[in-house]
Amino acid sequence: MNQDEVESAYFRRTSRWKLIILLLILALIVTVIVSLNVGYAPIPFPNILAILAKQIPFLNNFVDSSLALPRDSAIILQIRLPRIIAGIVVGAALSSSGVVYQGVFKNPMADSYLLGVSSGAAVGASLSLLLGAGFSLFGLGLVQVAAFFGALFAMFLVYNIARVGPKVPITMLLLCGLAVNFFMYSIVSLLEVIAGDTLHSIVFWLIGGFSNVLWSQIWAVLPFIIVGTIAAYFYVRDLNLLALGEETAHNLGVNVEKVKTRLLVFASMVAAAAVSLSGLIGFVGLMVPHITRLVIGPDHRILFPASIITGAIFLVVCDAVARVIATPFASTLELPVGIITMLAGAPFFVILLKKKKQSYAL
Amino acid sequence: MRYERLVPSLVLLNVDGVECRYGSFKVLENVSLSVKEGDFVGILGPNGSGKTTLLKSISRSLKPYKGTILLNEADIYSLKGIDVARQMAVVPQDTTIGFSFSALDIVLMGRNPHMSRFQMESEKDLAIARKAMELTNTWHLSERPINELSGGERQRVIIARALAQEPKILLLDEPMTHLDIINQLEIMDLVKNLCVNEKLIVLAVFHDLNLAARYCTSAVLLKNGKIFSAGSLDEVLTSENIKSVFRVNAIVKKHLVTNSLFVLPLSPQKTSPAKKCSIHLICGAGTGTALMKILLDEGYSVTAGVLNVLDTDFETAQFLKIPVTTEAPFSPITEKTQKANLAMMRKASTIVLTSVPFGHGNLQNLRASIEALEMGIPVFVVDEVPIESRDFTNGTATALFAELKRKGAVFVKDQNELLSLLNVSEEKMRLAKEAPTRIFNHLKPGRSHEESDITFKPEKAAGGTEK
Repeated sequence: MNQDEVESAYFRRTSRWKLIILLLILALIVTVIVSLNVGYAPIPFPNILAILAKQIPFLNNFVDSSLALPRDSAIILQIRLPRIIAGIVVGAALSSSGVVYQGVFKNPMADSYLLGVSSGAAVGASLSLLLGAGFSLFGLGLVQVAAFFGALFAMFLVYNIARVGPKVPITMLLLCGLAVNFFMYSIVSLLEVIAGDTLHSIVFWLIGGFSNVLWSQIWAVLPFIIVGTIAAYFYVRDLNLLALGEETAHNLGVNVEKVKTRLLVFASMVAAAAVSLSGLIGFVGLMVPHITRLVIGPDHRILFPASIITGAIFLVVCDAVARVIATPFASTLELPVGIITMLAGAPFFVILLKKKKQSYAL
Repeated sequence: MRYERLVPSLVLLNVDGVECRYGSFKVLENVSLSVKEGDFVGILGPNGSGKTTLLKSISRSLKPYKGTILLNEADIYSLKGIDVARQMAVVPQDTTIGFSFSALDIVLMGRNPHMSRFQMESEKDLAIARKAMELTNTWHLSERPINELSGGERQRVIIARALAQEPKILLLDEPMTHLDIINQLEIMDLVKNLCVNEKLIVLAVFHDLNLAARYCTSAVLLKNGKIFSAGSLDEVLTSENIKSVFRVNAIVKKHLVTNSLFVLPLSPQKTSPAKKCSIHLICGAGTGTALMKILLDEGYSVTAGVLNVLDTDFETAQFLKIPVTTEAPFSPITEKTQKANLAMMRKASTIVLTSVPFGHGNLQNLRASIEALEMGIPVFVVDEVPIESRDFTNGTATALFAELKRKGAVFVKDQNELLSLLNVSEEKMRLAKEAPTRIFNHLKPGRSHEESDITFKPEKAAGGTEK
């Protein structure tokens, strides 16, 4: 390739990025529609489209009402769609916080749960399940609220233990995160031991899933996720610079401590909100950013949005699989999506890693 | 500091009374310097002397405990990071990069201080990055992932990134660590050119004093966090300063080809126990230089002569503070000097004759050796080059050599053999001291070491030892 081709290839990159985002959005829409079709009650695609179109002002006048039966509408809009939207929201949230964590920690093995978010949420959720979950706040059950604040509390704990004067060294954060996670999980284990009848619901919550998700729960967590993600997006170029090392980022004009703190707060808030909605869905925050980076490169300006959409697609697909995979054996059995993400993700991840390992430095 | 009065105007970077601490440990103390456009300042000093800390405090990474750092009269710690980054670029020691960005991506990141938050790189940014990469000879690597480049290639990419920042001040922290010689010279030439043509300020930490001597316009020598010496290279790079800061003896001279100073460090003095034996060297034209240092290191006391002033061996002897009988430059040895030399030789317990070429000027030295033998002082002849090929006296020297042999001089083939034999005689001296009656038996000239009761036996006895 001659020299000018390198330059023009560089500028074509921007349009390539736009194309990637466009294709991913299309893929997400297709995934959603296909996923709406998946389930115990058979509802054909024309009916699904009619039911969806009926919800949209102006478009609803052109819909053939015979296709949008009330029973089907209820299944689609009140049962399947909330699950799918929840999948999108949680998948996007875990991936966006995963990208941020991996960028800040300069480590592709970091994930959304690194700073105690998961263990804190687990303690909050288990505790509230044990005490009984009657209370609700803004449409959220006590379990959700407790998980959210448990997560934020754990993160706050990790951050403050790790702080050395005005600075928060990365290795300290990692180690304190580990310590707090171990501590919190031992509390969860303790709660499990004394749980008795509620053990089943605690275990189910810990695996993570979307059964019985309500619209109100989604609306309650959505603002945190949207605000946190958009705020983190302001710092995508700083994330690139942080990959050069904190000292170099500093020398290139990044206010390292400020940016690092803000990014970690945003990402943890997003992860906490996601966890409070779905329980602990593992592997998404680690793997989706990782896979996306292997495919499209490390530039956070594209990696961040692309990972978000990929995460949404990934979790919607996993949830659809979770809904149907056990049906041949027992029509009412539903696997928690957390099991599927692990089962599907791990081998795929290993294959990608092996294939591209020569261009990948840990 | 002395440094300040050199540069009365155009001051751009001003470090004033800076003290840096890690915790309560003082790493830098009262460091002041002023640097102006076009200065290339080498920051020198041993490990742990505060060089990197000084760079860190200048690059706004480590706020000084005391003192100020002014960039065009503004305190850099009151400026915004991005404003400093527009004027100052840093090439760090550690260049590991987290993810596999392409080399071009890395260089373009140098444009960050000049871009607003959501701006994409413009054609101008790319042109600047390309120029920086062409200057550092890395444009052909632009699409390669940075993690796949060799250490030297990566270093050059990092330097290109610093240049893409379009800085007025360039800080280099041991920039040459990963580079081979040709890359070192190319990069330093480039930096020097920028320094001269673009009026860049360059502050660079060097471990290699010669590289510093070759490119810097001035230098700061740090010792234990304080400025030991600062100013022009001639003032800073003296063998006295190097001795007191690095604890190493070094020869500092102007190099004939580069016309810059060059520093030749000598390995630290070995701590061999002092030996009783004193050795007089008959040498010249550089044949004794290496031997002087070795013999001193071995613990012998050494004298030399007759040497002409300005002879290489004379200069070495001066440097090593060896007593020498001297003759005027390029002059034959006079009667008077010969006497002085013989007096000096009489005090020596052994004479060593190197493979020096003989002309009519220094033939007297050969005669002196014979006289020494006659006086009963053992003579060792390092016979590395056949006498015929270094005899410029139409055979006189060769004849005298034969006489030396006849009278019992010990011929050795090289320095190593000489040292072994000297050790043997040293041992004999020691034994002799314990049993005074044996002294003459054992040190009697002409008596071969093979007959002695010491169990040293060289593989091949030097030619002509036996008589």
